[in-house]
Amino acid sequence: MVENSLFRPLQTALVLILALIAVALCASIAPPALQRTVIEALIKLTVVVGLFIFVGQSGVFSFGHVAFMAIGGYMSAILTLAPARKATLLDLPGAIEALQLPWPLALVAVIVAVGVLATVVGWPFCRLRGIALPMATFALLIITYVVASNWQQVTGGRQALVGLPRYVGLWTAFGGAALAILVAAGYAMTRHALMLRCSRESEVAAAATGIDVERERLIAFVLSAMVVAAGGVLFSHFIGTITASTFYLDLTFVTLTMLVVGGMRSLTGACAGVALVSLVSELLRSVERGVAIGDVTIAAPPGLQEIVLAALLLAILVLRPAGLLGDAEIGWPSFRRAAPATATRQQG
Amino acid sequence: MMIQPDSGGADASAASLEVDGVVVDFQGLRAIEDVSLTLRPGEILGLIGPNGAGKTTLINVLTGFQAVTQGSVRLGGVDIAGWKPHERSRRGLVRTFQSVLPFAGLTALENVEAGGVAIGLVRGEARAEAVRILSEMGLAHAANRKAGTLPFGEERRVGIARAIAMRPRFLLMDEPAAGLNDAECRDLQTIVRGICVSLSCGVLFIEHRMSMVFELCHRIQVLQLGRTLALGPTDAIRADPKVRKAYLGEDEVSPC
Ligand SMILES: Nc1ncnc2c1ncn2[C@@H]1O[C@H](COP(=O)(O)OP(=O)(O)OP(=O)(O)O)[C@@H](O)[C@H]1O
Ligand SMILES: [Mg+2]
Repeated sequence: MVENSLFRPLQTALVLILALIAVALCASIAPPALQRTVIEALIKLTVVVGLFIFVGQSGVFSFGHVAFMAIGGYMSAILTLAPARKATLLDLPGAIEALQLPWPLALVAVIVAVGVLATVVGWPFCRLRGIALPMATFALLIITYVVASNWQQVTGGRQALVGLPRYVGLWTAFGGAALAILVAAGYAMTRHALMLRCSRESEVAAAATGIDVERERLIAFVLSAMVVAAGGVLFSHFIGTITASTFYLDLTFVTLTMLVVGGMRSLTGACAGVALVSLVSELLRSVERGVAIGDVTIAAPPGLQEIVLAALLLAILVLRPAGLLGDAEIGWPSFRRAAPATATRQQG
Repeated sequence: MMIQPDSGGADASAASLEVDGVVVDFQGLRAIEDVSLTLRPGEILGLIGPNGAGKTTLINVLTGFQAVTQGSVRLGGVDIAGWKPHERSRRGLVRTFQSVLPFAGLTALENVEAGGVAIGLVRGEARAEAVRILSEMGLAHAANRKAGTLPFGEERRVGIARAIAMRPRFLLMDEPAAGLNDAECRDLQTIVRGICVSLSCGVLFIEHRMSMVFELCHRIQVLQLGRTLALGPTDAIRADPKVRKAYLGEDEVSPC
């Protein structure tokens, strides 16, 4: 029984993926508008699960992961756009302008490149203590945004890059989310994740237990940046255009809210948070558009969505600071659990 | 079952943990003033002294959590001034905390497993080892409970189990008996002797209850106001008038 529990994260992942399959199947017969909402939620799930890899196990907040979405999205755009379009929109070196990769290759290249970049950036970051590390990630977000919205030659500046191959449909988005969940669960089973969780509980005790907190943080930071970047790639190719302002404060707020509401220490919680926040957002969006009652159409004031989400976040922070699920994870229904528990108690 | 430690010799000193002429200053306050200490493999050295004597500070110095103003710390003859806390503990210089500091949100099993994982075991091995250590310490029933929810005595034992899982060469225990009842104190003594013998590990044992220190320790070092007041075999310290006067008072022995 004890041996078994090392594989619990994998069980959780499989149950979650089964749930996603159910959602995707329902969405596949839903009207296009609803389907788009589900696809967007699945992509956000990829991002939030990526965020969970670092934040959930380290207990350190990151306000900067959306920057990796932006970096991933722009890299993939540059690698997949047609050379002619790049020539009109951007001013790239010849070789890069001529380069056009098939999207799967571009995706892999982006993930690897972001892994390298996150190592370089994360190295000094993970040496920081206390609030300094979250603040540094916030600075990363701002820098990335400013660079992306001003580097005319490479990102097109404030202008949107258009004409990205739109290869992301329901099942691609599902695949991304499922893979992200598997990566997160696989990581959670490693000794590195255990050591990082120890440092979350007490940095001092972790150091006294032989744990190199900086190194474990860096490992998780890099892995999570790579998953988040994949989410950014999927997002850009789902929309078909990319602008710097997409990957800024709003998205940071929404993804962090999703993680915190569901329970940032739990993979199941991360998924539940995405589901709940997406659902609430979608309802509010339709209210904002207006609800017809008889002859009158009542439309809520714009911005209602943000306010309600913020209120939801506040309510959770006050009433259930550990999130809806805390650190609980979903698993197989277990019939045997009760029996061995009493058996071990008798031994002790 | 008192096991006498290796008595001196060049060999033993080479494998010892040594503090030499250490001074520690906190802004204006000199917490430790020229203290030297030697802990040999297989011995239990009692470190006693009134509150604020500098006992915890000395452990912090040994484990790399506190930089010294002066002096050196050597492990097996090697100066370890540049080693970070995690490097020291990974190489066998392991401590427990006065306030336990368990990984509260993790299970008792994971707490102990972490010790094994940190010294390089794969999770399966570390977990098997953790199960063994927990059941030896009578904690099998608590394995799957969160460390933060355990009764105080069990929480302390989880802290010790976590240290044992790191296979310490030297174990520095900061008031491991504080808050324990009599039965738990006796269990603790058995555990400490066990560690000392089975791992041939040197134990630095900080404790305020004299009866326990006298029963358990081979040698005792007395600190007062950051200085070494006395050092010697247990019987000599027990009889030392200077120690009796300064620290033990007249009716020193409280029941354990
Ligand atoms: N981080 C610190 N900053 C300033 N002064 C400190 C610090 N840590 C300890 N001290 C001071 O150093 C002295 C020694 O403290 P220490 O904790 O080592 O005593 P102790 O012998 O462990 O006492 P106790 O029996 O109460 O645990 C005390 O006067 C304490 O106030
Ligand atoms: Mg102390």
